[in-house]
Amino acid sequence: MGENLLEVRRLSHTYTVNRHMTVKALDDVSFSINKGEIFGVVGESGCGKSTLARCVMNLLRPTAGEIFYQGINISDKKQVRANRPLLQTSRQLIFQDSVSGLNPRMRVADIIAEPMQLHRIRPPRGSYRAEAEFQMRHVGLDASYLDKYPPELSGGMRQRVAIARALSMEPSLLVADEPVASLDVSIQAQILNLFRHLQAEHGFTFLFIAHDLSVVKYLCDRVAVMISGKLVEVAPVAELFSDPRHPYTKALLSAMPIPDPRLERSRTPTVFDPAAAPLTGALTEVSPAHFVLTEGGAADA
Amino acid sequence: MRSRVFTLGKNLLIFALSLAILSVAVFYVARLAPGDPLASYYGSRVEKLTPEARFAAEERLGLHDPIIVQYFKWLRGALRGDFGISFQYKRPVVEVIGGRIGNTLALGGIGFALTFALALLLGVFCAGHEDTFLDKLICKVGTVTGCIPEFWLSLVLILIFDIYLGLLPGSGAYSVGKADDLGDRAAHLLLPLAVVVLGHLWYYAYMIRNRMLEEIRADYVLLAKSVGLPDRKILFRHCLRNCMPTYLSIMAISVPHIIGGTYIVETVFSYPGVGTLSYESARYQDYNMLMVLTLLTGAVVILCNLVAQTVNARIDPRGRAAETEVTADVR
Amino acid sequence: MSEILQVKNLSVSFFTPHGEVEAVRDVTFSLQSGEVLAVVGESGCGKTALCKSIMKLLPDTARIKSGSIAVCGADITDYTDRDMRKLRGRLYSMILQNPMTALDPTVPVGRQVAEAVLVHHPRMDKEAVRRRVLELMTLVGLDNAQARCQQYPHSLSGGMLQRCVLAIALAGEPQILFADEPTTALDVTVQAQILDLLREIQQRLGTATVLVTHDFGVVARAADRVAVMYAGRIVEIGTAEDIFYDPRHPYTVGLLRSLPYFAAPGEPLYTVPGMPPTMIDPPPGDAFAPRNVYALEIDYQEAPPMFQISDTHFAAAWLLDPRAPRVDLRAGGVRRG
Repeated sequence: MGENLLEVRRLSHTYTVNRHMTVKALDDVSFSINKGEIFGVVGESGCGKSTLARCVMNLLRPTAGEIFYQGINISDKKQVRANRPLLQTSRQLIFQDSVSGLNPRMRVADIIAEPMQLHRIRPPRGSYRAEAEFQMRHVGLDASYLDKYPPELSGGMRQRVAIARALSMEPSLLVADEPVASLDVSIQAQILNLFRHLQAEHGFTFLFIAHDLSVVKYLCDRVAVMISGKLVEVAPVAELFSDPRHPYTKALLSAMPIPDPRLERSRTPTVFDPAAAPLTGALTEVSPAHFVLTEGGAADA
Repeated sequence: MRSRVFTLGKNLLIFALSLAILSVAVFYVARLAPGDPLASYYGSRVEKLTPEARFAAEERLGLHDPIIVQYFKWLRGALRGDFGISFQYKRPVVEVIGGRIGNTLALGGIGFALTFALALLLGVFCAGHEDTFLDKLICKVGTVTGCIPEFWLSLVLILIFDIYLGLLPGSGAYSVGKADDLGDRAAHLLLPLAVVVLGHLWYYAYMIRNRMLEEIRADYVLLAKSVGLPDRKILFRHCLRNCMPTYLSIMAISVPHIIGGTYIVETVFSYPGVGTLSYESARYQDYNMLMVLTLLTGAVVILCNLVAQTVNARIDPRGRAAETEVTADVR
Repeated sequence: MSEILQVKNLSVSFFTPHGEVEAVRDVTFSLQSGEVLAVVGESGCGKTALCKSIMKLLPDTARIKSGSIAVCGADITDYTDRDMRKLRGRLYSMILQNPMTALDPTVPVGRQVAEAVLVHHPRMDKEAVRRRVLELMTLVGLDNAQARCQQYPHSLSGGMLQRCVLAIALAGEPQILFADEPTTALDVTVQAQILDLLREIQQRLGTATVLVTHDFGVVARAADRVAVMYAGRIVEIGTAEDIFYDPRHPYTVGLLRSLPYFAAPGEPLYTVPGMPPTMIDPPPGDAFAPRNVYALEIDYQEAPPMFQISDTHFAAAWLLDPRAPRVDLRAGGVRRG
């Protein structure tokens, strides 16, 4: 195993709905991501995976627990303040909704160059425009789109622009929250290939959040499964799909639609019954690098 | 239950605090304005006063005390229900206002009701006939009419109906000697009323139209249509119903808007209402009158806003439920 | 089985300020009672417009330019909105993509189902309506129906809401059910349940279902027959087996091959090059030609007709013409193992 880039320790986040009600979006979540790894987080809506991404990006303050990024405790205000430039440039976020993520009144060239300008980074290729053009080519877009506005682009192109903007900062950690969920099949394949290609080239670490298991299976090295703010299983991707241990993981895998009529119709999805498998306990290593939430267990993923 | 009491208490506190702040501000600002308060008390006689007599008169009205002292003197009286006398009318302020408020309530109240009834009708009609000729016509006419300043519209109407045609009276609340004639009063009300309604109607009609269109384009309308519910039923049973919270809160918020409009209209038509009174009191440094009128208007405005908030929270099942269960889709 | 819907050479256009959008172009297909036909395609391919034009729920800016729609033998192409109202609900109804917005948020769900029941039985008495509502709620698998009826949409989960929507849609015992992406907004575990429910109801009531989706997993689970749409046309139609195991149109093959499920670990995904054309002034010939690596010259000149491959399987690609060169479309292998 390589060096840790990100380590999350006993992270919890609680939303306050009103005076009487709070919701635990993250409940005692621990894991770590190695340098250069593509780490997937899967779960259904409301499981806390987006909250996790936001905590990692310092967009939300965790209620409890710590997050270490390159050894910096980013849940500590003082340390964040001291390392602000590094933290802001080396972590980048890509949203699902590339429509709302891009300012519709800015040209593509300006959108891509904006983070560089904000952080006063001298463009290595002479001008900001040249830099934007380079990044555009990099993500497979023609330079003729530089002067377009986001509404003139298709969904796949907008997602590419969002990726180009994130990559212009040469991040070491890229957090992507459902980046392909709103895209069509053929465009989704293009973007997934792009991610793979760019990751191999730059070697950035990738926190990839998704609900589509087949996408995660294709792209990720390791996968974490979440439900109701709890991390229930973490394993290398092949092992998770071949040997799921937690009942919820099993239910999720059995419900994953398979594009093969004969096979698909022969399957009956198992239903996860929270009463039968309580979401308590701690992660236990069942085989090398494979952790499952077990009652009474104790270990660190 | 406890939370309801809490909310009520909180609202009352907000209400009292806002009024207190308002009263201080008006008290201070009114005294900054140039002009001679004695002029309104003594009329043209003020010019003939000897400096000594003038000083004595000012002393009697308490104008020599520091502003803070004046304010607390006023406040002590006000809390006991004594708002002082009007410099101009030399009668207790409350009495003067009481004699006039009926006129304003008639003009403002009927104007308000008419504005909103018509706005709802027009709004729903236009939304139901979106992009037809009539819809476009109404929207265009509305845009143009809504842009005309009220005082100018008033003058034009007076010119046409009173001066050229002689059909309707253009000033006052009743003809001399006909104070008890309801028909005469109604005739005097018509032109000011028309201005109040025409000045505000379009904006609200347009708001309702857009809100209705938002509902009409919702998915549930498509579903209802697809199972064969008649359009009219969908429009009235669902869309209109769902617009009601917005409608009611717009209504509550717009009260000050319409009050403001009424004041201008009253002044142009020399209609003896509270609006003319507040204009005069500001013009002639009638401090006591100005205080009461401003506070009265302020109280109505704040009250309406609080009502709007409460109505909104009560009428929507999502708002009602938010107090008891979790609805937020927490991701 | 009998044919209950027949669409012939249907073309539908939207007239927008930017020009005429040819959303549906020359579409022909038929639907048997009791079958599930999946219409698959990427966004903007005209699948939703096709359904809405059959249901006559198109906005005013759209017009049926040519072709005919026949339901149970009756030609409804020129029916007015008033005529259609009698058919809607009884003949067909629909369920929508997002159950969260498909119900009126301020009315308890039971009342909304009752309203749909009353459309078809205006004189039904209160007690009978109540019983019918409970029956429908049970039919769609809502447990504790009585209590559910009193609840407002916001307090139900997505899956439960979609069941309520289905109850409303089934109130008039429709012959055809249009389901526009019925599971896209739902979680994976709920998705399978809703699809199975759709199948179960279709088998129990004999309802035919038109299932619009972009997800081949959904198609595989629920569809008897599949129509693949591209740029307003049906490019391939056949049974689920035909389409999944023996796709003949290069677009179908490309779509299937680009699914991550079929990808070999470590290898890049297959991608269909390029992007779908805009439907304002679509190019002449086969709209897919610019993205088709096997495109022939004629593809750029003339739109291909439907070639019959078997009794059930048709595809519109010049490659199927006897004169065309033989190519192996699945040169990467669609199926793995």
